[in-house]
Amino acid sequence: MELLPALLFLQSTLAATWRMATPILYAAIGEVFSERAGVLNIGLEGIMLIGAFAAYSTAFETGNLVLGLIAAVLSGLVCGLVFALFTVTIKANQIVVGAAFNMIGMGITGFLYRAFYAESGKVLSLKTFLPLDLPFLSSIPFLGEVLFRHNIMVYATLLLVPAASFVLYKTAFGLSIRAVGEHPKAADTAGINVHRTRYISVLIGTSLAAIGGAFLVLAYADQFVEGIVTGRGFIALAVVVFGGWSPWGAMGTSLLFGVFYALQLRIQAMPNVLIPYQFLQALPYLATLLVLVGLTKRRVRAPKALGIPY
Amino acid sequence: MVWRNFGKRFRRAWQSIGLPPIAILIALLLGAVVLWLAGYDPLIAYRAMWQGAFKDLTAVTEVLIKATPLIFIGAGLAIAFRCSIWNIGAEGQFYLGAIAATAAGIYLGSLPRAILMPLVLLLGIAGGAMWGMLAGFLKNRFGANEVVTTIMLNYIAIFITGFLVTGPMIETKGLFPQTPRISENAWLPRFLPPTRLHLGFIIALLLAIILYILLFKTSIGYTIRAVGTNAEAARYAGINVQNNILLAMGISGGAAGLAGAVEVAAISYRLYQLISPGYGFDGIAVSLLVGNNPLGVIFSGILFGALRSGSEVMQMNARVPSVLVLMIQGMVVLSVVAFGVYRAVTMEKEE
Amino acid sequence: MKARIYLLIVLSIVLALLVACAPAATPAPEQPAEPTKPPEQPAKFKAGLLAPGPVNDGGWNQTAYEAFKRMEAELGAEISYVEVEMAPAAFEKAFRDFADQGYNFILGHGNEFTDAAIAVAPQYPNTFFFLSSSRFYDPNIPNLIGLNTDSSQPCYLFGYIAAKMGKGAGLIGGMEIPPIAEAFEGFTLGAHSVDPNFPVKITYIGNWTDTAAAKEAAISYVDGGADFLVGNADFANNGVYQAMVEKNVWGFSLFGDNTSKAPKNILANYILNYGEGLVEIAAEVQAGTFKPTSNIEFGLKHDKVMWITYNDGAANPVPEELRKEVEAIAEKIKAGEIKTLSSQK
Repeated sequence: MELLPALLFLQSTLAATWRMATPILYAAIGEVFSERAGVLNIGLEGIMLIGAFAAYSTAFETGNLVLGLIAAVLSGLVCGLVFALFTVTIKANQIVVGAAFNMIGMGITGFLYRAFYAESGKVLSLKTFLPLDLPFLSSIPFLGEVLFRHNIMVYATLLLVPAASFVLYKTAFGLSIRAVGEHPKAADTAGINVHRTRYISVLIGTSLAAIGGAFLVLAYADQFVEGIVTGRGFIALAVVVFGGWSPWGAMGTSLLFGVFYALQLRIQAMPNVLIPYQFLQALPYLATLLVLVGLTKRRVRAPKALGIPY
Repeated sequence: MVWRNFGKRFRRAWQSIGLPPIAILIALLLGAVVLWLAGYDPLIAYRAMWQGAFKDLTAVTEVLIKATPLIFIGAGLAIAFRCSIWNIGAEGQFYLGAIAATAAGIYLGSLPRAILMPLVLLLGIAGGAMWGMLAGFLKNRFGANEVVTTIMLNYIAIFITGFLVTGPMIETKGLFPQTPRISENAWLPRFLPPTRLHLGFIIALLLAIILYILLFKTSIGYTIRAVGTNAEAARYAGINVQNNILLAMGISGGAAGLAGAVEVAAISYRLYQLISPGYGFDGIAVSLLVGNNPLGVIFSGILFGALRSGSEVMQMNARVPSVLVLMIQGMVVLSVVAFGVYRAVTMEKEE
Repeated sequence: MKARIYLLIVLSIVLALLVACAPAATPAPEQPAEPTKPPEQPAKFKAGLLAPGPVNDGGWNQTAYEAFKRMEAELGAEISYVEVEMAPAAFEKAFRDFADQGYNFILGHGNEFTDAAIAVAPQYPNTFFFLSSSRFYDPNIPNLIGLNTDSSQPCYLFGYIAAKMGKGAGLIGGMEIPPIAEAFEGFTLGAHSVDPNFPVKITYIGNWTDTAAAKEAAISYVDGGADFLVGNADFANNGVYQAMVEKNVWGFSLFGDNTSKAPKNILANYILNYGEGLVEIAAEVQAGTFKPTSNIEFGLKHDKVMWITYNDGAANPVPEELRKEVEAIAEKIKAGEIKTLSSQK
């Protein structure tokens, strides 16, 4: 490959990487909080769908994207309350409840979309968040396209990750989250309200997952469709584990997944590529798996009380 | 004293038999509320659903046919979940089983029926078990979390299937991507004609019973459960935890693979890209719904089969989108969970 | 004492269940359990659709659903549809459920339903079964007919336009199945008839729902120098339209008029009015005159079923001379002088 086309290819791939990573990243950061407090939520996929639908219907009816985002957060909070009620208060198995949420999310959003939008004959598109070219910065060659021509919800991840990291590692609240996820009994003895901490962590998790879903309709595609999340909730779960349950790790892993996804789309489109496209489609998943296996010699392990009700 | 004991037993029996129907009723009621809010008549919808599932013998056998893969997968997952191995990968294991079975059914098609039929099923088991044990191996060898690896392996299995049916195994290039039909010698017999009820359903029932016995009446099952309850303690007690993890993944993967093989050998007779509508994920709920009891899976599998089967007729005759049934399934799980906790609490008080 | 209370509760629950189920168990009045053989003159013409995905997908499934709505409006047919669970076990049952209820016209909307239709059709000789995207015809099963809509023909025209007006084209498909692959082949042949080196690239995203992936695939084409985009991935097409708008490139929409999604960018629509074809067939079925001797193939020559429209509001509308050229090519396709698929002889 010559230099200029190679640079252009790289530029296009990297710009796509961040966009592709964003919805996964929102959900994963939330899940980091939830899992750090000891609550495994495999219902992310369903909750992202609910968030996407709430955001879409609100933004569509009001014409206001910010209201849509708020609606997504509210729907995430409602999901979180129910989830925490089951997993924290009545101590149900977290995997069961998560699995139920995935079904409910798919079922209810699909049903409501049909009932209220699909056959209404309306034009169903939204005006989405448009790319916000940052002055000066966006005209820097290469970097401008990669870093400074995204929409606001993509940029927001730059604030979200350090903020999440700060809360988790530098605040008393973050300390209680981690304590509750490691040794709930000891935390309880030390005067930390285990249930309250877990409730809050679950709520952070579900509302961020809902935002991740909302991103897909408010800032990526302009319309809700059934099953629009297409497995991103599951990917986010994987991202949390092999980002080592840390916000920065989650960001790195989401970007890694994003880069492989962007790459596979571009390799498929290259002329004279003889690899069957299904192998390219499998690439992000395979790469994630291999990297996970290669990296697990690290001394990172799951929160000790993960999955165990207290 | 005797009376007391009787009362307690009776209460226990009632709590495990009587509560699920109430949970289902609650879920249906919630579904009715959603239906009503969206402007449908819940009574008409549910009547159509009921008819779809139970109107006559054929309908009932169709429910059982739909339940068959769920029973296989659910019973297998019960073993993994009892070992505290969160195998989310039954979907991929189902695909691998279907691939192996199809390959055998096509390329070894000249073998006599008495050999080919069991061989297809065995290879299905092997395919699924291999895919499951791969995740087990990655966990043992590298400490890779099985939730993550099985999710990734699901995607990879589906893409492998896509590759095979659009490429090397395609029936006719340029036509619909599907493999040729497997040899008739591999077809599972159907009894009870004209319905499609097939041997696979009986095998599913047998498997559920066998896995129940394995789990609760043998030392193998005891060790698996011991590892699941507390891996550390089991290790101190001299149990080889890693081997048990591998075994649990092998059993659950093998059961899912068998489900895939049966689906090919009894229903579709060939493989194509989307041969599973998410059986692997439904299977998770089917197992968890009955507290990971392989025998209970028979009931929860049939329940989900009935809901699915009924929902299509609901869409046909009452014009209610069939996706709603997913929500009802989820609600059933949640309310069973809530009742399960209620049961545990009342029992605790009793002791 | 307590046990008796529990017994009472159990009994009342069982009773409640029985009561709840009782009305359901008796056949509903509006759904009389009709015998499998419908009478000679059916009271009402009934048409049932097996859709392989949501009927509101803005693509393949919606085409069929719209067609059925036309049958309802124009023939007074009673229509119904079911989005079949994509499991082979579900297909046969869905066909039977319709046939048992006396439906006269049952359409399996895709080639994947072929096996199931072959299994069911012979048992219901008075019901007509149809398969979309299929060239099935077997004189031994005269009541099962394949209906193929040859999307490669209009796509050939689009390929021609793209090669005349642009620098390169990117095609984004859901999965590699014949209706998609054939449409893309037609596009490629059309483009290469203008310029054999015109770059036409194809990506499959592997599903029908991931709008974000479709959008990224489209953007990657534009970044790679393409200025024409075509989406053929149902729901996920929204992402392609969005990429057209954001990157300000051109494109076409397939199966329906989607100009509203990218009013300045979509240059032409391929309209598939499946309803026109189905209504014609259904009318014959209804009148009892439908006696097919081959499969049915819809192409550009059925100009009420398949045609293309131009978007005059586009920022770069297809010029008048080019439209005339396209018209001439369309005539040749209709006459069979131009092949839009390499497999056509």
